[in-house]
Amino acid sequence: MTAMIDLKNVSYRYPVSDDSVLKNISFSIEKGKFTAIIGNNGSGKTTLCNTIRGFVPHFYKGDLDGEVIIDNTKITDYQLGQLGEKVGYVFQNPFIQVSGVKDNVFEEVAYGLENLGVPVEEIKVRVEEVLKLVKIEYLRDKNPFELSGGQRQRVALASIIVMDPEILVIDEPTSQLDPIGTQQIFEIIRLMKERGKTIVLVEHKMDLIAEYADDLLVMHKGELVMQGPVRDVLADPAFEKYQIQYPHVTEIALQLQKSGIPLSFLPIRDEELAEALNRTGVAVHD
Amino acid sequence: MKQNILLQLHPMTKFYFTLFLFAIVLILPGYLFSFALFPVLLLIALFAGVLKEFLNIVLKALLSVLVIIFIMQMLFYPGENVLWGWGIFEIKQEGLLYGLLLTSRILAIGSAFILFFRITEVRDFVKSLEDIGLPPMGAYVVLSTLQIIPEMRRQANTIMEAQKTRGVETEGSVLVRAKAFIPTLTPLILSSIAGTEERAITLESRAFSAPVKKTSLHQLTKSNIDRALPIIFALIVIGLLVWRFFF
Ligand SMILES: Nc1ncnc2c1ncn2[C@@H]1O[C@H](COP(=O)(O)OP(=O)(O)OP(=O)(O)O)[C@@H](O)[C@H]1O
Ligand SMILES: [Mg+2]
Repeated sequence: MTAMIDLKNVSYRYPVSDDSVLKNISFSIEKGKFTAIIGNNGSGKTTLCNTIRGFVPHFYKGDLDGEVIIDNTKITDYQLGQLGEKVGYVFQNPFIQVSGVKDNVFEEVAYGLENLGVPVEEIKVRVEEVLKLVKIEYLRDKNPFELSGGQRQRVALASIIVMDPEILVIDEPTSQLDPIGTQQIFEIIRLMKERGKTIVLVEHKMDLIAEYADDLLVMHKGELVMQGPVRDVLADPAFEKYQIQYPHVTEIALQLQKSGIPLSFLPIRDEELAEALNRTGVAVHD
Repeated sequence: MKQNILLQLHPMTKFYFTLFLFAIVLILPGYLFSFALFPVLLLIALFAGVLKEFLNIVLKALLSVLVIIFIMQMLFYPGENVLWGWGIFEIKQEGLLYGLLLTSRILAIGSAFILFFRITEVRDFVKSLEDIGLPPMGAYVVLSTLQIIPEMRRQANTIMEAQKTRGVETEGSVLVRAKAFIPTLTPLILSSIAGTEERAITLESRAFSAPVKKTSLHQLTKSNIDRALPIIFALIVIGLLVWRFFF
């Protein structure tokens, strides 16, 4: 498998800050993988996304050390405009992701395709499809400035996936969504994965990460402290010390284990709990 | 509303028409023609179904200016033929004529432009400018400004509300309201500045600077009338110029 995103010893400091926000980060993400980035507030997740998308250093100046390689090309060798088609980036803040020149949602979603020079007939087909996929057909004639936070988040996601980028970087897309909406977004991301997209997702909802993601990157104070398949990272006792929530079922299982009930393995999805308890075996985690 | 032939004209045709009026008002001598133009504009507005808004804006924006200019010219324009005097004030014939000429022209030209913006969507106008070579960034600036003004008004209201809950007096005389409004400016301007950076990244995430030629869902069509009218306008203007300067 080829690496789609490859970071080698990347450090970055914002122009005005004294301290590095990213510290010597190295990892590599294969094409078609779904990787979740987790970490507490201020740990550098968004900055890492900005780096993958090339906003660092093309837009945010400051000191960037190390190498960022996207699809076998160094990020500094791309022009900013070229990356738009390759890496789709949905921001953390849905309130700023409005083009500001379109007066309905349909045109808002179409905006990126217009900029990419896609023929008008094709634009219409693709926008229709994405509106349906993200379940915002009913918003098509609404003004993008007059949407709720959750609706804006859906429009923002739609506006990016309609452009069909190979890599999707999505920063907390469900912060304004209800549980059903959140589940739907994860389903859409799963679909994107099935279409062969490489996905980087920042999320705090561990239950869903355990259910959907392949790999995990754990950020802590600007350092990448753990990485690997979701199950391996969660099973590593070191995970506990970063004060990040476990999936609920994992939390319960660990409690049970503490009170003397042995687990055959550490469950990370709800349906695994019974299996983990049925078989008696060696205790994992300590 | 879109069925109307006038409204369906290409924005550039409407714009050329406005320039055409501008030109003939300046070329033709005297005030009679310029004043006569106004009823014509009213008729056009009526036909386009925008008479009420058109009149409203003309009255609000132009009337007071016209009255002031007229009085100033009448009283202070140099001349000999005094028509009427009262103390130091004298109304002279030259002033009266010049006042009429100036106001007739301002009325004609001003209302022609007001009419233009009544019968043309700014969005369409900007698109037509883009079609003839306005760079996308320029078009973006114009359109986003138009969208952001109501957004900023909303934001200003929010800030005002916030100040009210903190006990700042926001209602009452003009002075009281002005006093309450000034402190809202700082957060408003600051947030707009912070907004521009985010705006730039947002645009970038939507491939604004992709190195390709953009397409557009919004297409303007030119009919034969749209092709013929500008030529007719140009011919008339040239004809008038020739008549004015060679005969
Ligand atoms: N534009 C900026 N200029 C200077 N410093 C910044 C900027 N953006 C973020 N930082 C700093 O970088 C650090 C990491 O911020 P970042 O936004 O990457 O964190 P995060 O992990 O995404 O947090 P959250 O979970 O709250 O979204 C923070 O200490 C923050 O103060
Ligand atoms: Mg963040």
